[in-house]
Amino acid sequence: MNPILAVVGLMVLTSALLLLPLVPALTELQSKSDALPLNVIQQHTGEIRFFADGFRSYMRGLEPALRECVSSGGHATGAMPDGSEYLVLGRGEDALFLPFRERNEFQPVVIASATDLLLPSETNFSKDIYSAGSVIGGTKNRYRAILAEKDIRLGGESSVMRWVHAVGEFSADPSCRLYGRVSSDTGIRLSEGCSFLRLNAPYIAIGAQADPGQTPSPISANATTPQRLFHDGDFEILAGEVFLGNLVVRGRLRIGAGARVRGSVKSEKEMVLEPGASVEGSLISASVMQIGSDCRIHGPVIAERTAMLQRGTRCGTPQDPTTVSAPNIEVEPGVVVFGTLWAREQGQAVAGL
Amino acid sequence: MIYVLYVIVSVICVYTARHYWFTLNRLFGFQRHPYIDIDTADWPPVTVLVAAHNEEKVVANILSALMTVKYPEDKMLVIPVNDRSTDRTREIIDEFVERFPGRIRPFHRKEGKGGKAAALKDAMALVQTEVILIFDADYIPGAGLIRQLTAPFFDPEVGGVMGRVVPMNCGTNLLTRLLDLERSGGYQVDQQARMNLRLVPQHGGTVAGVRLSALHEIGGWNDTSLTEDTDLTYRLLLHGWKTVYQNRSECYEEVPETWPVRVKQIKRWAKGHNQAMVTYGLHLLLGRHRASLRERIDGTLLLGVYIMAPFTLLGWALALAVFYQGIAPLHGIVAILSVTAYAAIGNLAAFFEIAAAVRLDGSRKRVCLVPFLILGFAVSIFAVSWAAVSQVKDALTGAEFHWDKTERFRKAAS
Repeated sequence: MNPILAVVGLMVLTSALLLLPLVPALTELQSKSDALPLNVIQQHTGEIRFFADGFRSYMRGLEPALRECVSSGGHATGAMPDGSEYLVLGRGEDALFLPFRERNEFQPVVIASATDLLLPSETNFSKDIYSAGSVIGGTKNRYRAILAEKDIRLGGESSVMRWVHAVGEFSADPSCRLYGRVSSDTGIRLSEGCSFLRLNAPYIAIGAQADPGQTPSPISANATTPQRLFHDGDFEILAGEVFLGNLVVRGRLRIGAGARVRGSVKSEKEMVLEPGASVEGSLISASVMQIGSDCRIHGPVIAERTAMLQRGTRCGTPQDPTTVSAPNIEVEPGVVVFGTLWAREQGQAVAGL
Repeated sequence: MIYVLYVIVSVICVYTARHYWFTLNRLFGFQRHPYIDIDTADWPPVTVLVAAHNEEKVVANILSALMTVKYPEDKMLVIPVNDRSTDRTREIIDEFVERFPGRIRPFHRKEGKGGKAAALKDAMALVQTEVILIFDADYIPGAGLIRQLTAPFFDPEVGGVMGRVVPMNCGTNLLTRLLDLERSGGYQVDQQARMNLRLVPQHGGTVAGVRLSALHEIGGWNDTSLTEDTDLTYRLLLHGWKTVYQNRSECYEEVPETWPVRVKQIKRWAKGHNQAMVTYGLHLLLGRHRASLRERIDGTLLLGVYIMAPFTLLGWALALAVFYQGIAPLHGIVAILSVTAYAAIGNLAAFFEIAAAVRLDGSRKRVCLVPFLILGFAVSIFAVSWAAVSQVKDALTGAEFHWDKTERFRKAAS
């Protein structure tokens, strides 16, 4: 073999072997098949009503059918532009008498009602539900999503897979499971045994006896910037004491009964608020937080593991709503949160802690 | 000579382990996003500072975006910090001031020391709110970003906040695509892992926030620093303030589209970082302050990332010298195993991190470009090393640092 040819051949072969692993890279560089910027959400803010607002717009297509059914008192069926089947009821109570389960165990139709909608028990609604009035659901139902222009009441042991929005009050009877977003423009009331993830309303009341209308203690955010105090190790604010300033504790923190913090507090480890304690700022724990009965918190309440709120505790005010957030949240009857209650993994209304 | 090589190799191994630790934490560890769910609150008043030096191409975009964000209008004031611009920046800002009365208060700086920190320092006279957010003029904040960046300040321990930057011009050419990958690795893995592990997330100086009382406590903006963000990170840390990273608070930015601009940018970063290393490194590691042991170690390693470039070059040179001198380091099977293990795993650590980040971002084909990162790596290692050498030279000759603004590539908004 010609030695020059051999050298050239070897060089070509070596170059080919070097380039071989780069073929996918060169192909992508040339084709730019994945060269768009990452999708950053620019236009909305993770608003809890995002899906409800979208569904309300979607339902505008059914307005003529709704008007017609109201005047006739009957019902109509058809398909939306995207192919989803719908059932429009002129009288919402008719839903009780429709033979849902004979048709299919899952109800693959969008249900819209011009008046209050009464739904039977033990039924799976696999498409969204809309009511221009209220929605009153039977027990042990399973819903995908519900939007009502007035109140919503779910029967015991029902579950919602995606979202619920009520312009009026939303209430859930015992042992409901609310997997997605639940919002109301008026208020939310959960019974014992209900589980939840993300709730937002002017008030969120746990149990029948919780009274969101009760005037909260005169507690307001401190207008000036309080001084910050650091403490390495555990720390306790004694019962009845007034603590002025922002407090950062690198250990455990205990706020005694009736003590008042005129600032925000943070603890790296467990935080315990004894009954009747109040905090004018925010409450942050990098671990577990236990808020005793009848406490008042003005600012956001954040626990990186678990937050437990005992009866009578109130977070936020009607004028200054706030957020209570933790991976796990347990709340007793009598707790009222004004604003957002957000459990990333599991939220539970429990009988007692 | 051989012992110097051992030291360099050991330090490189530490950084290798760190890359793997961060990546595995992001892939399998507990992810901390403690403040991202705060969506309802009595939101505090905020001031948004927009640093602008000859930004006629981009300043209208950010001001438009800021005027549409979802934050109580009466609680947000935008201060464009027009730093001695000689183009139409002032004119564009004044048009916005007229269109949005009471919501924008311009700060037109006509003279003074150059650099972002100096401009921000002068603008502080107009700031009256406890929460300050900072953006460079080429960024485009989304509707929810101001709330997301403000939320961590409800934590009284938080002094600084950093969001994630996402290149918007990533598809332009090979350089922008490589920078897109590097940004993914840096934010999606590095920054979030530091947040998860309670280490030292770095303040980036843009898409970021700082608490006014914390800033006062640490002595305000340091206008002698080339990278005011790194400087701020360490001064906050040394005074017991946390900087937190919000991976889901994303904002578009523009990355350099030409290699000379990129080289200039990374050289400035390297010099600023090295400056912070000299200023704070020893005190951080051994001094009396509130940083935890893990923060001391991670903070020191973070300070050393740019000095590793000349060290790596020195290591290569020493390895060659050792070879030609006939010295066999770590005789026998140990040497072979070490070299093989390092070649198989160590060299790939940074690339593994970036590939994992791209995967976490849900991207599909762009991960194919990872082999080309070696090109970016080669350019960076020499640029950063050159920056270190010139920095030493400047220190010896007493020359002052010079601030280079990063060139913009966007077409001016009409």
